[in-house]
Amino acid sequence: MIGIIFGVIIPYIAFAIFVVGVVYKFIYWAKSAVPLKIPTTSGQQKSLKFIKRTIYDRFDSPYTKWETAVRMILEIFAFRSLLKNTRYYLDRLSQRDARWLWLFAILFHYCLLLVLIRHTKFFLEPVPSFVEMISELEAFKGVFIPSVYVSGVTIIAALFLLWFRRIFLSRERCISLPSDHFALLLLLAIVISGNVMRYFIKVDISAVKGLLLSLMAFNIPQALEFANSIEPMFYIHFALGSFLLAYFPFSKLMHAGGIFFSPTRNMPNNNRAERHVNPWNPPYKGITWQEYYEAYKDQLDEIAESGYKVKPEVL
Amino acid sequence: MEKHVAEKVRIEQRFPSWRELLKPTTEFKPGYYHYSFRISDAKYLELPFVREWNPLDKDWKLPPNWKEIFLTKMKEYLEKFRSFKLFMDICVRCGACADKCHYYIGTGDPKNMPVARAELIRSVYRRYFTPAGKLGKIAGARDLTEDVIKELYYYAYQCSLCRRCSVFCPYGIDTAEVTWIVRMLLKEIGVVHRFTLISIASSARTGNHLGLLPGGIAGALQSVVEDIYNLTGIEIEVPINKKGAEILFVAPSADFFATPHWYVCMGYLMLFHEIGLDYTWSTYASEGGNFGTFISYELAQKLNAKIYQEAERLGVKWILGGECGHMWRDKHQYLATMHEPPKTLEDPVSPITGTYFENAASTKMVHIAEFVADLIAHKKLKLDPRRNDKWIVTLHDGCNYARAMGLLEEPRYVIKNVCRFFYEMPEHTIREKSYCCGSGGGLLTEEVMDLRMRGGMPRAMALREVHRKYGVNYLCTLCAIDKAAFPHLLEYWRLPVAVGGMMELVGNALIMKGEKERTTDLRGEPLIRRD
Repeated sequence: MIGIIFGVIIPYIAFAIFVVGVVYKFIYWAKSAVPLKIPTTSGQQKSLKFIKRTIYDRFDSPYTKWETAVRMILEIFAFRSLLKNTRYYLDRLSQRDARWLWLFAILFHYCLLLVLIRHTKFFLEPVPSFVEMISELEAFKGVFIPSVYVSGVTIIAALFLLWFRRIFLSRERCISLPSDHFALLLLLAIVISGNVMRYFIKVDISAVKGLLLSLMAFNIPQALEFANSIEPMFYIHFALGSFLLAYFPFSKLMHAGGIFFSPTRNMPNNNRAERHVNPWNPPYKGITWQEYYEAYKDQLDEIAESGYKVKPEVL
Repeated sequence: MEKHVAEKVRIEQRFPSWRELLKPTTEFKPGYYHYSFRISDAKYLELPFVREWNPLDKDWKLPPNWKEIFLTKMKEYLEKFRSFKLFMDICVRCGACADKCHYYIGTGDPKNMPVARAELIRSVYRRYFTPAGKLGKIAGARDLTEDVIKELYYYAYQCSLCRRCSVFCPYGIDTAEVTWIVRMLLKEIGVVHRFTLISIASSARTGNHLGLLPGGIAGALQSVVEDIYNLTGIEIEVPINKKGAEILFVAPSADFFATPHWYVCMGYLMLFHEIGLDYTWSTYASEGGNFGTFISYELAQKLNAKIYQEAERLGVKWILGGECGHMWRDKHQYLATMHEPPKTLEDPVSPITGTYFENAASTKMVHIAEFVADLIAHKKLKLDPRRNDKWIVTLHDGCNYARAMGLLEEPRYVIKNVCRFFYEMPEHTIREKSYCCGSGGGLLTEEVMDLRMRGGMPRAMALREVHRKYGVNYLCTLCAIDKAAFPHLLEYWRLPVAVGGMMELVGNALIMKGEKERTTDLRGEPLIRRD
């Protein structure tokens, strides 16, 4: 029974919600107009030849689409804006480094990436050699037996650090909603159950892979066969993972996709060089020169009489 | 001023729980809330639901179907502004922005954290536009009530749209954009503040925020050239409304009257005369600034239209813009989108140096700092930087032209050429990380003085640092609002530092043909030399 519900039905539903949800969200965002080109410039604009732009200026205040692409890549892969984090301070001596958030965030996201890459070995047959290689490298193969994956352990630490920020720092606690804690706790539950399964309560990995491959091939009888043979421990991990997939599109976790749409980051700062068109630009409503002229005729005529110029009255 | 100066400024930090934070604040502190609009301005601008109302009253006399209007408009703006929709969805509340806001630093009010400010409307978005919102409070959602409207009004006008938080946000969430749209939504149900609306109505009618009529502008310019005559002995003719000039010059209208803007205006006129520029002022397009950008898209569009219309009517080739902050957010990011540039305009090429301003090829509008930097680089100006020896200068980067335009090096290039003592404020308070003066975004009004003085605290402290270290006595800024706000702010924080613009320094240093020996600077104060 557990097998059919948590091994077949829920994963299918969750995956469907995930795909439909994410696609829906992308369309939902893309449907909205971008009336104005509003990049946040964080560096020197391109202007005169002798005004030097450093390499940082070029991607913090991009002028071409390539520079904009570099800005996006740095934002996505290096969390550049977070790296700029400062605290309020007066001089360099009292400056405390405020980039902990960047460190924790980078730790978490890169560990997650490694963990996800390693997980592809359950979905792909044959397993790509780079997946094997990454797994071996990050486990320092041969040091521990069984091998301990660094990313799998670090991700727990990173998640706790991110969560502690929300619990122990008064400002962060104040702005954290239940959903913020929930997302972290859900991820924690998933990675802890995964680690427990790997190191303590072992499950039949070949059966897990069999299940996933047959689910992917829509071979439901075979999937059921595998599903029923797997230990319950696996289903804790698997059900939580499924839940995360289904929860993803409706939560703040969509920041992963949203960053690509961010108009303050994905537009070049070439506003005055290339015109941006607003699809719903309303027509101008206001006074014309003619109306203005009629309202202030005397004064304007006086300016005209003096030859459209003003001179000092020299005594 | 005196009555606003407290003995001790205490910044009380509070950290309420998230539940507490969801509850609307309706207690309006004096010095923090804005007065309601004047009927005459609102009527002139054809705003909906014009009536007498007072933010301190319990009943704001909202239209009976205010909620329906608000939500319908919200849906409309979600479709019209991808930024708004996206920023409602993707915030993870990491808190990177929290202590980046000068109002939060200065007031300690948790709802002044950029993330919390956005949550005020985000909680409404969740409730009415997301499935999870049905769960209510636990999902961070709340019903739209009159109290929520009051709170939105209170905090939407405690943001100066400076975008500093947006620099640090990992997703580029721009609170200025969110605040702007909240102000637009409030406008739809007849909730707008007084200050900017006065200027917007003036500008819509007379062409400038101060409401100067053509004769007044001509008179002001005449006074400026008389001052220049007294200083240099040179009689300058100022073209105004002149058809067929090569360049239309547009400056913020404060430059006609206010101090220290006045000295900047002297600087413009001296420079243009010296290089023999074929240009003209206009009385119809006599405002560079655009307070409409603080309230709504339509009002912004209404005000900046005049510049292109006038450029076309006068038959100029391109447009040169003066020293102003939000003006350049408007001219750089909005103008050419809101109005198609007239076909009659030509590529902006400096008539003196022949430099083609490629970065302004479409909008046809060049910043005075770019123009002057180019002149200096081509050695077209004779400068005596020793005339500015009295001043030990630091530069405040205006929020709008730093973070919405990227004009950072041009003013520095010019300043370093026209004065000899220049020091930077601490690195995290300049360039794109510049702290706001505390009075931008429509907050330059007396009734929010407490907020302004507190919001300007980080900038004032950074200035104090260089004042003590290097003896800085001149705060240079290229923003008209800064020039109006800083004198108060520096008095409040007890900093004996003068405030002025780049063109004042240029005017001081500029050696003009046939000028008499200068004994004073543009301010009429004796020249001091340091050797």
